[in-house]
Amino acid sequence: MPLLINQQIVEDNWITLSPERLEETAELPQGDLIVPFTYFLENQAVLDAHEGQVGVQVNGDDNLAELYRLHQAFPLVAVEFPVLRDGRGFSIAMQLVRQKFQGQLRAVGDVAHDRLGYMERCGFNAFQIPEERFSQEDLAVFNEISVHYQGAAEDPRPLFRR
Amino acid sequence: MYQYNEVDQTLVNERVEQFRDQTRRFLAGELPEDEFLALRLMNGLYVQRHAPMLRVAIPYGLFSSEQMRKLAHISRKYDKGYGHFTTRTNIQFNWPKLEEVPDILAELAQVQMHAIQTSGNCIRNTTTDPFSGILSNELEDPRPYCEIIRQWSTLHPEFAYLPRKFKIAVTGAPEDRAASQVHDIGLHLVKNAEGEIGFEVLVGGGLGRTPVIGKVVREFLPKQHLLSYLDAILRVYNLNGRRDNKYKARIKILVNALGVEEFTRLVEAEWEFLRDGELTLTDAEIERAKSFFKPFDYDPKAAEDKTLADKLSADQSFATWYEKNTREHKVEGYRAVIVSLKPYLKPAGDITDVQMDLIADLAEQYSFGEIRSTHDQNLVLADVKKSDLFAVWQALDGGNMARPNIGTLTDMIVCPGFDFCALANARTLNIADQINEKFDDLDYLYELGDINVNMSGCINACGHHHVADIGILGVDKKGEDWYQITLGGSSREDARLGKILGKAVAADEVANTIESILGVFVEHRLDNELFRDTVQRIGMDPFKENVYAVAH
Repeated sequence: MPLLINQQIVEDNWITLSPERLEETAELPQGDLIVPFTYFLENQAVLDAHEGQVGVQVNGDDNLAELYRLHQAFPLVAVEFPVLRDGRGFSIAMQLVRQKFQGQLRAVGDVAHDRLGYMERCGFNAFQIPEERFSQEDLAVFNEISVHYQGAAEDPRPLFRR
Repeated sequence: MYQYNEVDQTLVNERVEQFRDQTRRFLAGELPEDEFLALRLMNGLYVQRHAPMLRVAIPYGLFSSEQMRKLAHISRKYDKGYGHFTTRTNIQFNWPKLEEVPDILAELAQVQMHAIQTSGNCIRNTTTDPFSGILSNELEDPRPYCEIIRQWSTLHPEFAYLPRKFKIAVTGAPEDRAASQVHDIGLHLVKNAEGEIGFEVLVGGGLGRTPVIGKVVREFLPKQHLLSYLDAILRVYNLNGRRDNKYKARIKILVNALGVEEFTRLVEAEWEFLRDGELTLTDAEIERAKSFFKPFDYDPKAAEDKTLADKLSADQSFATWYEKNTREHKVEGYRAVIVSLKPYLKPAGDITDVQMDLIADLAEQYSFGEIRSTHDQNLVLADVKKSDLFAVWQALDGGNMARPNIGTLTDMIVCPGFDFCALANARTLNIADQINEKFDDLDYLYELGDINVNMSGCINACGHHHVADIGILGVDKKGEDWYQITLGGSSREDARLGKILGKAVAADEVANTIESILGVFVEHRLDNELFRDTVQRIGMDPFKENVYAVAH
C-alpha cells in the first residue's frame, strides 16, 4: 500500500496490527507497531515491554479525550477515515496539531486523491493510500489550490493575518 | 459589493481546473461514482430527473449587472434559456451537460462567480436580508459579516465532509427576512447593555422531515469572535453529529439529543482553545469587509422629486405596483423595488435569459449596477430613485416582472417538485397554477392582506412549507399526489412551525381548500387583521371544522 510522506513515496517501516490480526497473534511481531487505540489502552504493560516503537490508530468512535491526553507518548498516530463521508478525522487531526503533536500523523482508510490536499492542511504528514486508488497524479494534488482563506496546520493564520 | 482580489480570483480559477480534472477522471472511469458524487455536489452539480442541475452561488444574494448578463449568456449557450432562483438565493440551471460544466464554471469565474459549496455536506451559501444596508432601523449592515463567513467557509479543509449540509443566515435588523431561526446557525446583530454591537447566536434550526426552531446558545458574542465561535460550533458538530443515519445527521438533532445546555457547554469548552487566537477578527479586517458595502453616492437632489406623486395619481396600475412591490429606503428620495418572479402561470423563481438581460440593464441604469436575490424567490433593485420608478415599472411590466403580488397569496415559494427534482414525491407547479387560476382577482388578494403560501413537493421542505401562513406539502399515496396543509407557521422574528390542518387533500382540491380556509379567516377577522394574527387568535379548530365539513 503506497505511503506518502511529505509528498514523496516512501517505504512503510511500520506494521499495522488490525484487531483481527491481534486476535490471531499470540505474540507481537518484532519492529515498529501501529495498534488500535483501544488495544493500547487495554494492553499497556505488554506494549511497554515491546522493543520497537508503538503508534496507535484511532477513529472518531474512540475515546478522543484520552487520545489527546496521551498523544505525546506516541511517535505516530494513524487517523482512520472509515468511509468517504466520515470527516471526523479532519477535526481529530486539527485538535492534535493544536496540542502540538510532533510525531507522524498518518491518514489511513478511505484516503485518496481528492482529499489529500484537505488532509495535509489539517496536519497530516503521511498518507496511506489503497493500492487500487493510487496513481502518480496524486503527487501533484497538493498544489491544485495554491491559495487559502483559512489558516491551516502549518500556518494557523487566516489570510487576513498574513 | 465585494470585488475579488488576486487571491479570490486565483482560488476560483484553480477550482475550475480542479473540477475539470475531477470531471475528466470520472468520465474516463478513473474516479468511482460515489466519490465523484460527493465532489460534484460540493460544486453544486446534481443529477436530476432530466439532466444534471447546476446550482450557482450568489453569496448573500448580492450580484452585479455584469454577473447577471453572464448568467443570461450561460442559460442561452448551455441551457434552455432560463434559470431558477432558490430559497438559498442561488440560481439553478436545469439542463447543462455534465461534460460542459467545467466550461460553464470557467465562464462564471470570468465574472467572479462559482458553484463552490452550493450543495453537499459542507457549509452552504450564507444568506441574509435582501434589504440589508438600506434600512433605517438596521443596527449594522450584515453583509460584511456574510462576506467574512464566505471566505472562512470556502474550501474549508476541516469542514468539507460534515455529517450533513450546513446553512448559516445573518440578519442586521429587528425584522427577520432571512428565515434565520430555521437555519443550522442564525446570527442576529444585536446591541448589549453596554451599547456594543455583537451577535446573538442560534443553533439547530432547520426544516426537512424534522422541523425545528433554532435555540439561542449565546446571547451576545462580540464581533471579533465571530469566526472562532463558528469554528467551535462546527468542530463540535463534525466530531459529534450522527453519521449512521442521514435523516438524523443535521446539527438540530445533535442539539436536541444533547440538550441545548450541554451542547453549549461543549461549544464553549472548544471555544476556550480558540478565543483570542488567530481566528479573532482584527479591526482592519472588519473595516476592509465593510469598505465593500459602503452606501452609494446617492443623489442629494433625489429627495426633491415631485414627479412621483403625479404619476401615482395619474396611473392606478403604477400606484398599485408602487404600493405592493416597492419598499422604504433610508435615503430620502429612494425606494427599493421588488421584481416579482411570480408571474401568472409560470414557475415561481424562474427567469428567462431575456428577463435576466433586462434586469441587468435596469440595475445598471437605475440601481448602481447591483441586484439582490431574495429567500422568497424574487429579485430586488435596492436603490432606485423615486423619480425613476415609473420608468422601471414600465420596463418590468414589459418583461412580465411587475405583477403587483409581493406579499400576497400568489407570491408563493414553490420548489420545482416532481417535474424537475429527483427527490420529489409530488408535483408542485400544477398546484401553483391551480392556485393562481383560482385567485386571480387582485382586489380580493389585496383585501386579504399579506399571506404567504409555501409549497414543497416532498418532506425535504425546500419550499419551506412548515413556516408559511399556509403550507402545502405534496405527498405520494399509492402513486397519486395528495397535499397536506399546515397553518400558522412563520419564518420571521416570531418563527414557529405550522400545524397540520387535517388529512391530506386531493390534487384537484387544493385551491378549493385554500378558499375554505380563507373563508374562515374572513369570517373571524377583526378589522384589517392579518391572516397570521387571526390564526394565532382563533386557533386551528374553526379551520378544521369548516374545511372538512365543506370539502367532504
